[in-house]
Amino acid sequence: MSERIDRKIPGDWLLTVVAVALAAVLCIGGVLWWRMRAAPPATNAAQQPATAAQRLNEPLVITLSVPVDGLLVAVQAPVTRQPDTQSLARESLAALFADPTGSKAPVLKDLRLRGVYLDAVGTCYIDLAPVEQREVRASVWEELIALYAMVNTLSQNFEEIRQVRFLVDGREVQTLAGHIELSRKFTKRMDLVKQ
Amino acid sequence: MRKHLILLFIAVLMLAPRADAVSSEKGLMVKNVRFFSYAAFTRIVFELDAAAPYVVMKSDDGRSVTLSAYNGPLSATASMPAVRDGVVKTVELRQESSRSTIVLQLDAAAGEVKDFVLRGPDRIVLDVMKGAGAAPTVQAERRKLIVLDPGHGGGKDAGLVTAQGQEKAMTLELAVAIKRQLLKKNAELAVILTRERDQTLSLDDRAGVANAAGAVLFVSLHAALGAGSRVYIVDPDEGPLATAPAAHKTFLDFDAGNEQQERVWGSQQASHTKASGELGRRLALQLGMPGGEPVQAPLAGLKAVDAAAVVVEVGMGQDRSWVAETVAEGIASYVRENR
Repeated sequence: MSERIDRKIPGDWLLTVVAVALAAVLCIGGVLWWRMRAAPPATNAAQQPATAAQRLNEPLVITLSVPVDGLLVAVQAPVTRQPDTQSLARESLAALFADPTGSKAPVLKDLRLRGVYLDAVGTCYIDLAPVEQREVRASVWEELIALYAMVNTLSQNFEEIRQVRFLVDGREVQTLAGHIELSRKFTKRMDLVKQ
Repeated sequence: MRKHLILLFIAVLMLAPRADAVSSEKGLMVKNVRFFSYAAFTRIVFELDAAAPYVVMKSDDGRSVTLSAYNGPLSATASMPAVRDGVVKTVELRQESSRSTIVLQLDAAAGEVKDFVLRGPDRIVLDVMKGAGAAPTVQAERRKLIVLDPGHGGGKDAGLVTAQGQEKAMTLELAVAIKRQLLKKNAELAVILTRERDQTLSLDDRAGVANAAGAVLFVSLHAALGAGSRVYIVDPDEGPLATAPAAHKTFLDFDAGNEQQERVWGSQQASHTKASGELGRRLALQLGMPGGEPVQAPLAGLKAVDAAAVVVEVGMGQDRSWVAETVAEGIASYVRENR
């Protein structure tokens, strides 16, 4: 005669609790994993462009060298941020030409900015053009000051710009108004700045 | 008129690749003409579109030199300069029957003519040497030569135009007045002006006049608004080429010394920095410039002058007779102390 013995498995209750807890952990982990995958990137995508746009829209304050009463005077001006130095240099010179004083200064008033190019060795080329093909008439001093207004504006704001060269209508010319040699590299001059 | 064939460059065709052969069929295309007046010769440089054979002939009477293409036509997009340095008078483009030529009208001081070619860019170079007919220089007469340069001039370059007049007229008037003052009190000086009338002169023309005449001192006169004067000297940073260009052979093994001489053009002033500084300080003091120091600037009109050289910029509101007297006195005292 057989004897049936039903034995209760020891720790059965404990196993059930552990299984339930494991299932709960897995569920919570799954939910968290799903939220981390889906929800957080959605939040970043909404926030990041807003930060970059804010940063781009926020103006950068640079120092212009503006001709005032025959000397160069430092004037702070806001310019739109740009992705690279060349574009920012162009913005800075555009600000000099648009400055209420700079735009009326001898030589600068007869010129417009065609382009600004920066090469790999730090030479910045400023390409100018006469406004409405007007002749640039100026004294030696006015010509000197106008050229160094541009040179100092670039050299003081951008350490990548080591020297400046000038072009007129994309070509090298001897002078702007008949006095100052343009076929050379220019570096900043502080003796022309009003102290 | 018997003409002498000086040189015929067919070697260009033999040495040059196909592109040059094509250009030879097209003849000579002159893109630019430059000239340089040296103490011993005048150099005329014809910059070409591409190398091609050419012919240089000197007239029987020795008063002109003709440049023409060996094959095909000669054309020029460049304007021809009026040299007038005592050696070469003019360079002209002439149309004779169906053929164009470039003619150099020579002056009394012209002697032998040498020609050669250079590459990169392709150029034909004519050197007109000073001959036996050259007038004795002022230096030979032991008189120190001062060259006064009235700034601007001609139809296209009036300089500043104000209610007080045109700068080109004012500088000429001032130069004449300074010359008069200098000659009145200083028998040991000779004075010439780069222009005596309203005419167009390039900056190199002006330096060429001074260099060819053997000037010891060059004063370029300009004007500005206001009642003060400024004196300028060439920025000493604008020195000669840091290292002289290494001698190299041209494509036909011509002496590269000539090429070097051409490269040196524009850096003559570098060897007169000290003298120009002294002259500038003297004039700045006498004209009452604040600080008594000349302004240093990269001046295009002085860099090729082979003598002590300054730019004097006079206020249009200043008493011109006082300025003329003061500048003349400054020049004379500088020359006296630097005999």
